[in-house]
Amino acid sequence: MIELRNVDLKYGDRQILKNISLTIKDNTIKAILGPSGVGKSTILKLMLGLIKPNSGQVLIDGTDITGMTETSLYAIRRKMGMVFQGNALFDSMTISQNLGFFLRENMKLPESEISRRVAEQIQFAGLEGYEDQLPESLSGGMRRRVAIGRAMIFKPHMILFDEPTAGLDPVSSKKILSLISSLRHNNNLGAVIVTHIIDDVFNVADSVAVLYQGEIIFDDVTEKLHNAAHPFIRSILSDKILEI
Amino acid sequence: MGDKNEKPTFARMKTQPDMSGTALQTEFVPLSVIRILGKKLVLQLKAFFFTMQEFFLFSARAFLSFPKMIRYWRDVLDQATICGTDSIPIVLVSSISIGALLAIEVGNLLEDFGAKTMLGRSTALSVIRELGPLLMGLMLSARFGSRNGAELGAMQISEQIDALRAFGTDPVAKLVMPRLVAALIMFLPLTALSDYAGLHSAAYMAEHYHRLDPGIFWNSVYPRLAPKDFVVGFLKAPVFAIIITLVSSFNGFAARGGTAGVGRSTIKGIVVSSGLVLIANFYVSKLVLENM
Repeated sequence: MIELRNVDLKYGDRQILKNISLTIKDNTIKAILGPSGVGKSTILKLMLGLIKPNSGQVLIDGTDITGMTETSLYAIRRKMGMVFQGNALFDSMTISQNLGFFLRENMKLPESEISRRVAEQIQFAGLEGYEDQLPESLSGGMRRRVAIGRAMIFKPHMILFDEPTAGLDPVSSKKILSLISSLRHNNNLGAVIVTHIIDDVFNVADSVAVLYQGEIIFDDVTEKLHNAAHPFIRSILSDKILEI
Repeated sequence: MGDKNEKPTFARMKTQPDMSGTALQTEFVPLSVIRILGKKLVLQLKAFFFTMQEFFLFSARAFLSFPKMIRYWRDVLDQATICGTDSIPIVLVSSISIGALLAIEVGNLLEDFGAKTMLGRSTALSVIRELGPLLMGLMLSARFGSRNGAELGAMQISEQIDALRAFGTDPVAKLVMPRLVAALIMFLPLTALSDYAGLHSAAYMAEHYHRLDPGIFWNSVYPRLAPKDFVVGFLKAPVFAIIITLVSSFNGFAARGGTAGVGRSTIKGIVVSSGLVLIANFYVSKLVLENM
């Protein structure tokens, strides 16, 4: 379980997040919805301990990670997988090497087991025949699927998605969303999805938190979003542009 | 202050009523300028010390990762090829040309004093103590340093370094330590190669340009070289390796702001490491020559 308690974050004089409290339970999919540049991706980085808040607590399975050193954070981070907005695939490695990289790095597994898991992810992501290609030769949707496979391969409890469908064509977006939905059913995984696309929220999320001007203005099950009274939520529901 | 007969001075160019509106308050323009400049200076000093602190912590992490050398031995070998084997042509070109040039110029100068037979000694000292290691350092700062800065900078802006951290791998141990170990290993033979090529090109020019017998040239080289000449030259190799690798890698890790940011951090890495190589060159020479 991931929990943020009264988190404040500033970059210089600019207040990014104000008193954010969020809970993401295991085996559930939570979406964080908001306009671009509001601090959604920053929340994911806080959950991984990549950045530290100015005040408040970030708890992973009950452990506060805010005061932890970089070295002690590595064990915590391995409980979660992260799919970056730009995929962050290692461009000098093949798809197979990208998928197997963290297994070779962090888990003492025999090479046969690593190969088996890589083949499993290749099949899951529908990338048969692309094993020895470099990421640059793949399409945007394929790269995203490799990034998801890389996050899933070491069987984390939770996967964090940063704008999983941004920049993809409708067909690729649909494939990615069905891939995310299947995670929970097939692997008992939880997920946090940061997005500015409201359709993604209704397609996959059990609950949603809406971030607006650095504050959470809604946090409940997805169905209740339709009844929210906040003008910003009303405006995005009536098909207005999200970037207000 | 409120005396109307008093003539305005340079420092009292701007006058305005104070809040009560009864008296004139004089603002000293030069003082306000000094105040603004002072504030900027304080902010820049603060940023400088913060960067220095970050740099020393980064360097300490790189050295503390040395025990992971066995785990990342493939990366060490890859980097040794990049900074060592692949750098041989540029080191050879620079040392051969400077050795030849030095022999021509110093030979001309010595000829005026009838001391052309001392050409070997003067060239050898210049090449082994100073020019061999210095040129090798500057060339590697440009070649190896720019590669580090650009590669790590591109990894930083495409979040690959964050990805390493996010999945529980120490990016300094994985990316910086192998570069540092490889540079520490490879810079020594490159210095030797640079010295060798520089001296031989000088000997070639002494024979073919100044018509000096090779025996005379080499006789003035070997018997007069002291251990401290080699210590000065070869002590510089590890110092340069540390400076070039850590400065360029640190700037790569600090890259922000897209492709333009990668360009800026790469340039900064090369400029700072080249400057530090020149400064370190002077101090290592001074330190060794004064104490040996």
